[in-house]
Amino acid sequence: MTPFAVWLDRISGVTTTTAVWGLFLSGAVIYFIAEWRLRVLALFAQYLFIGVLFTRVFVDRPEMSLLKVLVGWLVCGALFLSVRIRQTAGEKPHFHWAADLPFRALSLVMMTVVAYLASQRYTLPFVPQDLALGCILLAVFALLFIGAEEDVGVVGVGVLNLLAALDLFYSAQDPGLVVTGMLVMVNLLVGLAISYLTVAEVQT
Amino acid sequence: MTIAGPLFVLGVPLAVAAVLQILRRWTAISVWLAALTAAGMGVLLTLLPLGGVWTFRGLTVELARPLVVMGRVVQIEAADIFVLRYIFFTAAALFLLAWRFLPHSNFFPVGLAAAALFSGVFMVEQVVYTALLVVMGAILTVFPLHESGGAAKGGLRYLVYTVLALPGLMVTQLLLDLFMVFPNDQGLLNTATVLLGVSFAILFGAVPFQSWLSAVSSDGSPPVVTYLFTVNTGTVWFLLLAYFRNYPWLSQQAAFGTLFTTLGLVMMVTGGVLAAAQQRLGRLVGYATLVDNGAMLLALGTGRMEGLALAALLLLARPFSLGLMTLGLQGLRQLTGGLDDHLALEGAAFRAPWSTMAFLVGGIALAGFPLSLGFAARWGLYRITAMTNFANAMVALGSAAAVMLGIVISMRVLLTRPVAPPGSAPVLKEDRLVVVLIVALLLVTLALGFFPSVASNLAVEMAQWYTFFP
Repeated sequence: MTPFAVWLDRISGVTTTTAVWGLFLSGAVIYFIAEWRLRVLALFAQYLFIGVLFTRVFVDRPEMSLLKVLVGWLVCGALFLSVRIRQTAGEKPHFHWAADLPFRALSLVMMTVVAYLASQRYTLPFVPQDLALGCILLAVFALLFIGAEEDVGVVGVGVLNLLAALDLFYSAQDPGLVVTGMLVMVNLLVGLAISYLTVAEVQT
Repeated sequence: MTIAGPLFVLGVPLAVAAVLQILRRWTAISVWLAALTAAGMGVLLTLLPLGGVWTFRGLTVELARPLVVMGRVVQIEAADIFVLRYIFFTAAALFLLAWRFLPHSNFFPVGLAAAALFSGVFMVEQVVYTALLVVMGAILTVFPLHESGGAAKGGLRYLVYTVLALPGLMVTQLLLDLFMVFPNDQGLLNTATVLLGVSFAILFGAVPFQSWLSAVSSDGSPPVVTYLFTVNTGTVWFLLLAYFRNYPWLSQQAAFGTLFTTLGLVMMVTGGVLAAAQQRLGRLVGYATLVDNGAMLLALGTGRMEGLALAALLLLARPFSLGLMTLGLQGLRQLTGGLDDHLALEGAAFRAPWSTMAFLVGGIALAGFPLSLGFAARWGLYRITAMTNFANAMVALGSAAAVMLGIVISMRVLLTRPVAPPGSAPVLKEDRLVVVLIVALLLVTLALGFFPSVASNLAVEMAQWYTFFP
């Protein structure tokens, strides 16, 4: 067994439920903490958990899951560089909670309950229930990030989460190479666009 | 060596775009290379019949020859030729318009690559691939949108809305596949209709998803905004028509006419009211475009071939009117250091007369008033709407008048005689080339206003390919 295959085997050993918990915690970190290094780190972890979920979809082709993780990490890298440029331009990095923390906590709890109930009540075609919870949770985070934030980076992470949810759902139906490849391209383009917009705001 | 048409039409602009990215330092070379490539594609698609073969130094291009990519067929069909021409010719013209305003810009390589992706949309069959190509092209256009400074909210909002439209389109593909297996399940088609409707409403900037239109036009670079409102929106429009042609059950839905008429009127009224109340010229452009988009949907709602032809005519008129407004707006913004509100632009007509003139004539044309191609299209629209519902025609006319009111108010501000003694305010030395472009566009707009049959014949020919209406 090559080291790559060993690594993939270990990743696929993580249960879907654990990965969904991981998604929830990493999403909560991005939502609650307004410190960019932590947010990028949480997004980095989130892509690892998304990769674990993909191993359930691409059962016979674990390398596809690895591709998804690597693309996600590339996007994280681009975002990190953009944030560094923004911080150099004046914003000092320091740990602080998001401004409207009680509202965020309440909205996250409510939306998580909705996501859980939706995954129990509605069955997504060809998607197992635990994976469906992961999909819906990602879509919920996308809504929260896009709806509650104005910061380009966080809204961008919301867009990426929405794409990840769609990717998981669609790959379960049609795990074809062309769609997977095109979705990878869309992810990369969105990641680059967000990084660019983050920097473009600095110039103003 | 023989090359399939789709590979040539997609591959050449993409390859040139890659080269242009390297040549960005040399603006003139970038502009001309981008414009010539796009125009060359347009000319090739105009002169070469679909079944024809083009040979150049041992290289043979067969336009109708399909390209097979991993089992998926990519092919140019007769109905696509008009759309591809529209995309490439419009892109070529906008590259030239942007020449003096966007030095060393990403717009030229990115615009060319986006044009290639948008042309690819019409060569693939499955909804999922068309959706992904549209989104990829749309995301590409975000990159040059904020190069000239300003807040990045417009680009971000456009990105968010575009991606929000993707799930609906992709799930529609699944539902259509399921319908092939269960042809008696009408519920699948109903769900697909709703999803397609919402996705297209988002991409088209229909109410209540119109906020990206004003955000983009408010803080985006005007030439790129024009590209977005002509090439991107045109692609979405023709994609919608292609879906109606390929899936006849969509246009046979009982609520089809009412839905598009109502949506079109709501867009026109909303855009008109907001345009009349605007104090920023950029936003005025956005809301005038919303009214124009609404007029296109209203034309579709008539359920007639003539309506489709009028919508196509509106789309053909848009690059001219928006191009003029772009030249004017960019010139006026240069005068005030990027600001475009009434306060900053008071008396600007005396300092930048050509830019003011361009904005005024472009605005009149976009509002659908004489003398312009837009007027011919709008007048036809009011007439065929009045045949079935006079009140709807009056509402549409009132919305256009509201846009005109917004332009008149802006003109009053621009023409306010400065209180300060002459010579105290800086006078913009307008670029000679820009003035030449403004004059050329003014002449073309007026000529098309006097002789609209040149464009209307083309619009009728375009509409005939979408034969889902009697």
